[in-house]
Amino acid sequence: MNTRAAVLPVMCALLMLTACAKAPTEQIAAAEKAVTEAQQSGAATYVADEYAKIEGTMAALKKEVSEQDGKFALLRDYGKVEQLAAAAKSDAERVKVEAATKKEEAKAAALQAQQVAQEAVASTLALVAKAPTGKDRAALESIKADANALKESLNQVQTAIDAADYPTAQTKAKAIHEKSQAVSQEIKAALAKIGKRKPSAAKKK
Amino acid sequence: MSDHCPRVRSIVLGWGALALAGLFAGCVEAVPQDAIEAVENIDRDLMELRAAEFSPVDYARFAHQWMELKSRVQADEDLVRWPWELNDLELALRRLQEEGSQTVARLTKEREALRQSAESKIAQVEDRFRVMAVQVGAIDSRIVLGQKPVETDLLMKQAHAFYEQGRYDRSLDASDRAAQNLATQTILLGNEFGRYADRGQISGWQQMAKDTIAWSRTHQTSAIVVNKADRILTLYRNGQKVLSYPVRLGFNGIREKRYQGDGATPEGRYRISRKRGQGETQFYRALVLDYPNEEDRRRYRLEQKTGQIPASRAIGGQIEIHGVENQLMAQTLGCVMLENPQMTQLFNRVEKGTPVTIVGALHEQNSVAQTLVLLGVPREET
Repeated sequence: MNTRAAVLPVMCALLMLTACAKAPTEQIAAAEKAVTEAQQSGAATYVADEYAKIEGTMAALKKEVSEQDGKFALLRDYGKVEQLAAAAKSDAERVKVEAATKKEEAKAAALQAQQVAQEAVASTLALVAKAPTGKDRAALESIKADANALKESLNQVQTAIDAADYPTAQTKAKAIHEKSQAVSQEIKAALAKIGKRKPSAAKKK
Repeated sequence: MSDHCPRVRSIVLGWGALALAGLFAGCVEAVPQDAIEAVENIDRDLMELRAAEFSPVDYARFAHQWMELKSRVQADEDLVRWPWELNDLELALRRLQEEGSQTVARLTKEREALRQSAESKIAQVEDRFRVMAVQVGAIDSRIVLGQKPVETDLLMKQAHAFYEQGRYDRSLDASDRAAQNLATQTILLGNEFGRYADRGQISGWQQMAKDTIAWSRTHQTSAIVVNKADRILTLYRNGQKVLSYPVRLGFNGIREKRYQGDGATPEGRYRISRKRGQGETQFYRALVLDYPNEEDRRRYRLEQKTGQIPASRAIGGQIEIHGVENQLMAQTLGCVMLENPQMTQLFNRVEKGTPVTIVGALHEQNSVAQTLVLLGVPREET
């Protein structure tokens, strides 16, 4: 009778311990959610190394869960899993903000470059419109083709922005701006060369 | 005995302290700090190499191992172990350091190779772009390429920008697209001007010129031959060459004229339909040609019927050999232009009805054909 009385509390304690040793599913789910959100904010692109480490932490977490799950119930300990889930969640939340900031910066830079390029092309097109359609047409016809190419290239900048490919949008916009300035210079030189002569009367050719 | 007690106590305490010190001296950290720092340094090196962007698979493999070991390091932080105990964690860290060092060395090499490849591609495409611009400029055919040269230029500027940012793969991609664009331009030039390198076509033009010269001989009168590729006008009298002058053509001159406003100079057999003296033309003096002739009309109707010429486009006219209105003007709208003193000479030696034959080229080594060879356009035969 005395022996039974002594064993009972030990059994209860063991049962309680067994009941407590369960994987922290809520913490794991919270960490996974944070990682997904980080990924959606562009972490894999804008903070690729940090994001890779978070994925590494998640892989370590899953391995640990699997190791603990494979142990005898009384010996399971999910303390390390909790620690990893907390670390992954906190890192993912930080990286999410960092990626969003970097993405926003890249977008702002691309939009600014796009605006500068649009203004430069508009100015070039205005110059082209002023150019006389006289006899010296080869240069002016080529310049017109160049100006139209620049105008159409602006669509590619918008396409890249729409696809959130901001580095491409920015480099393309900068290239358009540079080329547009060069074409404007070419038009000014052509206009100066032709001078203020009145263009010839249009004739059938 | 009581005198001995403090001494014995001192000895016991001394040995105890010594044993304790020995015990602690024998224990070591679970993970040596230098092993952790070494892996951290490898991580820094990989980040500097932008391995996560450049070689995501390699970096992910490293990061996964590093994070797993890091979690074990944190879990074992408070542990001490006996020196004779096998330290798996330290071994794993040393192994990762070794693997990581190899990855850093390999990626550094690969990245340098990629950089060199991007640099050389930029140089190669830029060189080709320059050659194309110079050659196309030399035969006044930039218009034929339309928007393509600007597209190439923009791609090359992007290639440079990506290269400067260390994004060598993107730089290579932009250069490759620029190279494809240049290849398209070469095809365009071949399609448009291949006839200048076509022996069959050239012998046809040679025959036209011979017929004109023969006509001049037979009829003991004047005849004009204009060679577009060489930009030369030659006057024959009684089948003999009398004079030869350089000319300027339309702004799209070496193309074959198809419709009004295309800036091309027509090719074919024409006659002077009217002479315009001083005061009758804005171009000093002018010899009006009977363009379009029957052959021009037939071709125009056919191309319009097949949709190659828009219905709204007229065939054009008023093609002349004329003098210079403005010295600064380099081209015409499709006419043949001479310097005024030379125009005077020509004007005085021809009359209404004089034949004028305009041909593309009169020899196989003409300037357009040579340009096509330099640009690598394959020769066509008819």
